[in-house]
Amino acid sequence: MALDLAEQIKTATVEIFSSMLMLEVTPGGTISSEFTLHSSVTGMVGLAGTHKGMLAIHIPDEVAKSVTAHFLGIDVGEVNDDVLDAVGELANMLGGNVKSILSAKGRDIDLSLPTTIYGEEYVFQCSDDYQLIIIPFSVNGEGRFFVEFQLEG
Amino acid sequence: MGKVVLIVDDSSTMRKIVTRCLRQAALDFDKILEAGDGQEALQVLQSESVDLVLSDINMPNMDGLAFLREKRGIAAIKDIPVVMISTESGDDIIGEARSLGAKGSIKKPFTPDVVNTTLSPLL
Repeated sequence: MALDLAEQIKTATVEIFSSMLMLEVTPGGTISSEFTLHSSVTGMVGLAGTHKGMLAIHIPDEVAKSVTAHFLGIDVGEVNDDVLDAVGELANMLGGNVKSILSAKGRDIDLSLPTTIYGEEYVFQCSDDYQLIIIPFSVNGEGRFFVEFQLEG
Repeated sequence: MGKVVLIVDDSSTMRKIVTRCLRQAALDFDKILEAGDGQEALQVLQSESVDLVLSDINMPNMDGLAFLREKRGIAAIKDIPVVMISTESGDDIIGEARSLGAKGSIKKPFTPDVVNTTLSPLL
């Protein structure tokens, strides 16, 4: 996968957190192998058409609650529907940005509606014929989250 | 009489963010209504007096483009201005929204300044 795309995903993620959440996030070095997620929430969207793939954001529970609190301006005590909706919307915005990077016109790539999952321990698998990129981000001392992109070919 | 805006988005989080952003953009609406998809939005428009609609594009049941298509066929509501607020920014999709009557578009993520600049001329 082109390094340019990874850099653009980093830029898009920083912009989304900055403008929508007033939160400063800092990207780290890219990871290219699967890893186990613990007590996390994952929002994901699929891309189909000229480019096939999946964009996901994996956020540990505590960070997800904090991010949702920033989003909504309320206290969030547990992973609830608000948290799942907020993480899904983050995935949606990231997916839309990746789509606009890959397709200027927009009609040749379809973006799915966001799906959100959460659990105590799970692994996101990547097929052999997909390229994988995972970018960690740190959030103002509140923890880390990961943006993952799988692209066919 | 104060202005009424309808926010159409399947994400409750995004509806709340748009609501907050309207206030930060110093756009004072007397009433802010919400709908979760295009179908719900059509129902609201036919039962409430609305001055402006802010609509997502990618939604379940009836998406933003289908909403525009249906709305322009209903005489009582066809002239209510709609601005798309979406992750979609492709020329083809935004062009189709425009051809179906959308008066403007705002790309997510957005800032209060962008919202103000886009919506003020329509109010």
